[in-house]
Amino acid sequence: MGVTLTPPTPADRAQAARERREIDSSCRGPVLHYAASAVAWLLVGTTLAVVASVKLHSPYFLTGSEYLTFGRVRMAHLQAVGIGWSAMAGMGGACWLMCRLSRATLLYPKLLHVAAGLWNVGMVANVLGILAGHGRSVEWLDSPPYVAPFLVASIGIFSVWTAATFVRRREPHVYVTQWYILAAVFWFPVLYLVTVGMIFWVRSTGVMQMVVNWWFGHNYLGLWLTPMGVGAAYYLIPKIIGRPVHSYYLSIIGFWALALFYSWAGIHHLIGGPIPAWLATASTVGSMMMFIPVIAVAINHHMTMLGSFHVLRYSPALRFTVFGAMTYTAVSFQGSIESLKDFSEVAHFTHYTVAHAHLGAYGFFTMVMFGLFYYMIPRLTGREWFSARLISLHFWCDAVGISIYFVSLTVGGWWQGRMLNDPNVPFGNIVEYVRPYLFTRSVAGCLMGVGHVAFALLLVANLAGWGRKRGIGPAYFVAPAGKPAAGEPAPV
Amino acid sequence: MDRGMVIIVGALLTFASSWLGLVLLPYRQLQNQQPYTASPGDDPYPRQLSEKALAGVGVYSANGCLYCHSQQVRSARFGNWWEGGEMKTGADIRRGWGNRRTVSRDYLHDRPTLLGTMRTGPDLANVGSRYSPAWQHQHLFNPRSFNAWSTMPSFAFLYRREPVEGGKRAETALRLGREWTVNPGYRWRPTDEEWDRILASQPGLADALKAANPGHFDVATPEGKARLLDFWLTTEEADHQVVPTADADHLVAYLLELRKAETPLPEAKE
Amino acid sequence: MTPTNLAILATIVGAVVLFGAATVLAMGWAVRAGQFENFDRGARSIFGPDEPVGEPTDAFPRETD
Ligand code: HEC
Repeated sequence: MGVTLTPPTPADRAQAARERREIDSSCRGPVLHYAASAVAWLLVGTTLAVVASVKLHSPYFLTGSEYLTFGRVRMAHLQAVGIGWSAMAGMGGACWLMCRLSRATLLYPKLLHVAAGLWNVGMVANVLGILAGHGRSVEWLDSPPYVAPFLVASIGIFSVWTAATFVRRREPHVYVTQWYILAAVFWFPVLYLVTVGMIFWVRSTGVMQMVVNWWFGHNYLGLWLTPMGVGAAYYLIPKIIGRPVHSYYLSIIGFWALALFYSWAGIHHLIGGPIPAWLATASTVGSMMMFIPVIAVAINHHMTMLGSFHVLRYSPALRFTVFGAMTYTAVSFQGSIESLKDFSEVAHFTHYTVAHAHLGAYGFFTMVMFGLFYYMIPRLTGREWFSARLISLHFWCDAVGISIYFVSLTVGGWWQGRMLNDPNVPFGNIVEYVRPYLFTRSVAGCLMGVGHVAFALLLVANLAGWGRKRGIGPAYFVAPAGKPAAGEPAPV
Repeated sequence: MDRGMVIIVGALLTFASSWLGLVLLPYRQLQNQQPYTASPGDDPYPRQLSEKALAGVGVYSANGCLYCHSQQVRSARFGNWWEGGEMKTGADIRRGWGNRRTVSRDYLHDRPTLLGTMRTGPDLANVGSRYSPAWQHQHLFNPRSFNAWSTMPSFAFLYRREPVEGGKRAETALRLGREWTVNPGYRWRPTDEEWDRILASQPGLADALKAANPGHFDVATPEGKARLLDFWLTTEEADHQVVPTADADHLVAYLLELRKAETPLPEAKE
Repeated sequence: MTPTNLAILATIVGAVVLFGAATVLAMGWAVRAGQFENFDRGARSIFGPDEPVGEPTDAFPRETD
């Protein structure tokens, strides 16, 4: 208590800095393992994405290879970015955040190396298996049957270890980020087991598999990625600008509303489908209620940022995070609206939905993870990012790329849907109509790919020790040009 | 109660609520669904897929047809358009994708259920009623041999190009011009030099083609040569044929058995 | 009113009642159990003597030095 009432003495500062360095270094190995693997999967996933995207408008591209037929590449892409990049980035970040926020060192880091290794083995089998023709065409769960054991074992270790770190906490206050992480590491394993069980092992009848499928597909985003993304933003934004979160009440209400309503929203993916009508309605209600947690988070982040927007100029981590946080609001509003019957009627079977999915998984989640990495990695390796220009390049490629992506598929997809709904429009016209939009999407995808390569370069350089050493002062990062960072000796 | 416990218990409760409501309830509602028999003695609907078609489901899912094709016909109240100042509904049915909407019973035996979420291509719930096996094979081999605008991938890797043994073509061989079969998956066209070489190496070719082609033209002119080429490209290769592999056979068997939106069901009435 | 519409209405009303009741109960419990106390401290718990409130902790790395 009274953290800022009396100015801390230099000895206090040094002590606090030493403690945090200790915590950071205790989890350095596994966190970097997760982070580097995640970025590797991001590159794999991006490559697959571009191949699939080009094939949609130029069907002769690489058409000779059965391993690279559109359907397989499409499945492998989703697994690589969804289960490879997103989950591993989230887990790496969650591990670090949990240690820091609990003010506890990570015990037996080797165990988490094993977990990350298992996940990687599972992912290699997953992507190669799908390309070899073992994919299963259950959206989000395309992985071949031999993959699940690896993922389950890995997440089992990870979840238990995250909970164990939390139990060992020395910080009496449980910060809102910890709420999200703790809930997520509980939700995901249960969700995954129940789903795989009910689709592949118990073999529910016909449409029931689809109900479970979309309950999973939506909850994978809602109860696994979103809590990690929102949780990370709740830490990063206040921490970077040096200002407590606007309303702690609001953040707690947002958490519980998300827990309750997001898990009810999934079945709106089957509106108009052959399922009991009440089921789709229940999910529409859940989706509409999502306005509550989303508005809570939006207000909170905006009010925290208010008056500090100029920091966006200086901090790469903040720029990515705020971009992601703002997109979260936008994509969630859009998602709630899409669950309405009249809207879904047009957008459902089209690229409009693809645009929405990427706005969520990329514009929001991936951007926040980039922000997290920009903040976290230098503090773990003790090295500065070696090129501000590359960071800039990364940001602008991604921000512009996802914007072009979203606009082109949203517009093209919407009219695709309107035309599909008019039987007087021949099917061929629709196929021809969407082609330029799909081409634009490929261009956007390449742009995002350039950003990812820039990011991977930065990461490799940082891990290889090419960056400038960070100062050893308590507040680590370099100051905006001219001003010395706190604790760092002023440049002579 | 400790904060950590609050989170875990709360997370468990909210999660369980959605599992109960969105998964367990419909599971109980649907688990006892039975095939439909219109009058005693009739075959129950839906029928089980044949052995071959079941193998075809595997080919369909391994190659991700699902990511471009849905298998669900939406109700006559879904999908609206304007016609003569009036709003009409029921686009899926009007497009000829089925006679009625599909309902949960149509998918009773499906494993996995391939409802799909994307219509880059047409809905396939009832595609079995629309095309012949030969059409399906040729279309899978190269969709652009029917529709130049098609963006569907070629599945030529499910077919085998092989020399014709003893001058006798296999019955299952595709009846396709050489432009599609010389380089499976692509549309082949020789360069000018290649075409000259082919003409030179087979002196009888021009005469044979002229005999088969009633139009009068002079093969010596560039225009005549081009017409000759077009004609030659659309005739079958004499020494090679393209035959379906077992996978292609299974896949087509499955497509032909896809008749989900035909048999009247009481609950599908609107 | 068709059975479908009735079912939809029942679902909505049921959902609102159930969710509402659950929320009220949970809130009541939370207030009584003191879950809403010390929020300000919670929000400040991520700051410490070396990274106090009021100091930004991140910036673009300087290219020239
Ligand atoms: C990249 C998207 C894509 C993929 C993948 C794809 N298709 Fe298609 N499909 C299309 C398009 C576009 C059409 C419409 C043009 C045409 O007839 O070729 C179509 C048409 C069809 C038709 C004719 C439907 C009709 O009513 O005219 C059938 C049958 C079909 N596809 C089967 C398949 C099968 C089987 C697979 C998987 C092995 C598959 N498709 C994979 C895009 C795709």
